[in-house]
Amino acid sequence: MTSPLSAENISVSFGGNHVLSGLDLQINRRFTGLIGPNGAGKTTLFNVISGYVTPSAGSVEILGSDVTGLGQVEIARLGVGRTFQTPKLIGDLSVVENVMIGLDGRTSLLAQLSEGLISRSSARVKRARAIEVLEKFALAGVAEEEAGSLPLGSQKIVEVCRALVTEPALLLLDEPAAGLGRDDVEQLVEPLRDWVAAHDVSVVIIEHDLELVNNLCEDVAVLHLGTIISRGTPAECMSDPQVVEAYLGAGFAQRS
Amino acid sequence: MARESLGLRRTALSVVVPVLALLAVVLPDLVNPYRLFLATLIVIFAVAGTGLVVIMGWTGQIALAHVSFLGIGVYVTNWLFSDVGVPWPIALVLAAFLASFIGILIGFPAARLRGFYLAIATLAFAELISRLFVEVDVVTGGIAGKSIETVRLFGMSSARSHWYMALIVAVLVFAGVHRLGGTAFGRCLRTVRDAEVATGSLGISSTNYKLFAFALSAFIAAIAGGLFGQLLSYASPDNFHTALLIQFLVVVFVGGVTRLSGTVVGAIFVIVSRELLQDVGDWQRWVFGISLVLAVRFLPGGLTSIGGRLRSRRSSSGEAITSFGEGVPA
Repeated sequence: MTSPLSAENISVSFGGNHVLSGLDLQINRRFTGLIGPNGAGKTTLFNVISGYVTPSAGSVEILGSDVTGLGQVEIARLGVGRTFQTPKLIGDLSVVENVMIGLDGRTSLLAQLSEGLISRSSARVKRARAIEVLEKFALAGVAEEEAGSLPLGSQKIVEVCRALVTEPALLLLDEPAAGLGRDDVEQLVEPLRDWVAAHDVSVVIIEHDLELVNNLCEDVAVLHLGTIISRGTPAECMSDPQVVEAYLGAGFAQRS
Repeated sequence: MARESLGLRRTALSVVVPVLALLAVVLPDLVNPYRLFLATLIVIFAVAGTGLVVIMGWTGQIALAHVSFLGIGVYVTNWLFSDVGVPWPIALVLAAFLASFIGILIGFPAARLRGFYLAIATLAFAELISRLFVEVDVVTGGIAGKSIETVRLFGMSSARSHWYMALIVAVLVFAGVHRLGGTAFGRCLRTVRDAEVATGSLGISSTNYKLFAFALSAFIAAIAGGLFGQLLSYASPDNFHTALLIQFLVVVFVGGVTRLSGTVVGAIFVIVSRELLQDVGDWQRWVFGISLVLAVRFLPGGLTSIGGRLRSRRSSSGEAITSFGEGVPA
């Protein structure tokens, strides 16, 4: 089976600051957690995979295709979706329109113009598809509300819906649970689990909510100072003395 | 609630729009030629403002060369019509395409600039074009300017002809831009404005959309220019100065930079203010400058956002009451 994501020997430096140093990461599971202290290089790795940052060394393969050096747009069109730490929605558009934007990015400029001026059928199809995804995440009731009027938790889930509506093969979620209450986390996690079970998608999650990581991920990679210091199941990683020292702290080990 | 208010709005629009349309058609019979001239000017300013809504309001790009594109519309339409012999509507469209092409040229460097640097680049471009208005005297008549050949529709008076021409063009521009705004294209422009960092991950090339927005905005400005030239009857480079740019900025920021209806409200504000302040001469500039600062500082959504603000304030105070269990939702 082709790995959805294979990053080899990735290095990234900003000036004299080595953010990633010869990092290797292969994803073979449906849910992979990427954890580690702030500044470990987790988001930079997402930026490399999604084409926002070109690595100074190393290569990235997505579904067997080498995407190193490709732009963000090309990589997105290969089937990579992502979210950001703070939701990047368009506040004065409705929730459903925000989700439709995920599909708009897959439509050529010419088709977009004809969608407005000649035929509206493709717009109707997009809307129906967006509503379908929102329904799965229990957000269909606010589909016509302005996205900017929603609480942060709902906005983050809308952003996940926008990434999912294109049915990506690889989904990168950057701290989806940050700032969310328990109810919001549940509203996100269960539908996401159902979606992944029904679709051919692998999800990589950067998250500091270790309960969520434990609950959702079969596989965890722990980053520290730009390299992976531990890899395995959540239980294996969280009991790894290196991880306890670099990230979790002695208090965490005693509590668990 | 949202659906109810949408229904009410549609009902109101279905009454208001036909009444306004009828009023527009019979207006030349209701007012004197000077008032008709002012009404035509309002329509033309609103059309020009529509271009700024596309580039500034929807795409979030600072574009200070709008008056230059308007000037291109004035000069090139007139040159093609009176010197080359191209029928006026075709001359207008050709001038608009030329402005679009130049809009794309300015868009290339501008797409890589942001904020302060973008403002400076577009302003520098405006200076460059104003120099060309002096130099390319075959088309513009140079520093002395050039008279504009008037177009008359079916033997009507020039004031009446200009009113109907402006009206037809305005309806086409407003309908087209309104339609585009609600499509994938409009959504992608707003994504560039509000979430540019996310565009790449969504498969949206922000550079392409900025270029297209610059081109569309320049196209609309030149269309407004072709009409504006008809009202001027004589055009010189002095007509396309910074004071006019400030007036266009007042049109969109006082009216509401993200709304097409804002351009109508803003255009009424500018033209009526110009009339009321005729006696104070250059002090008009103070009024427009202060209006612009006040609008940006205290009413960023413009006058057309006041209704929405009041509604949201009312609904949030309604929620506060129900949260104490003492009332019903507003």
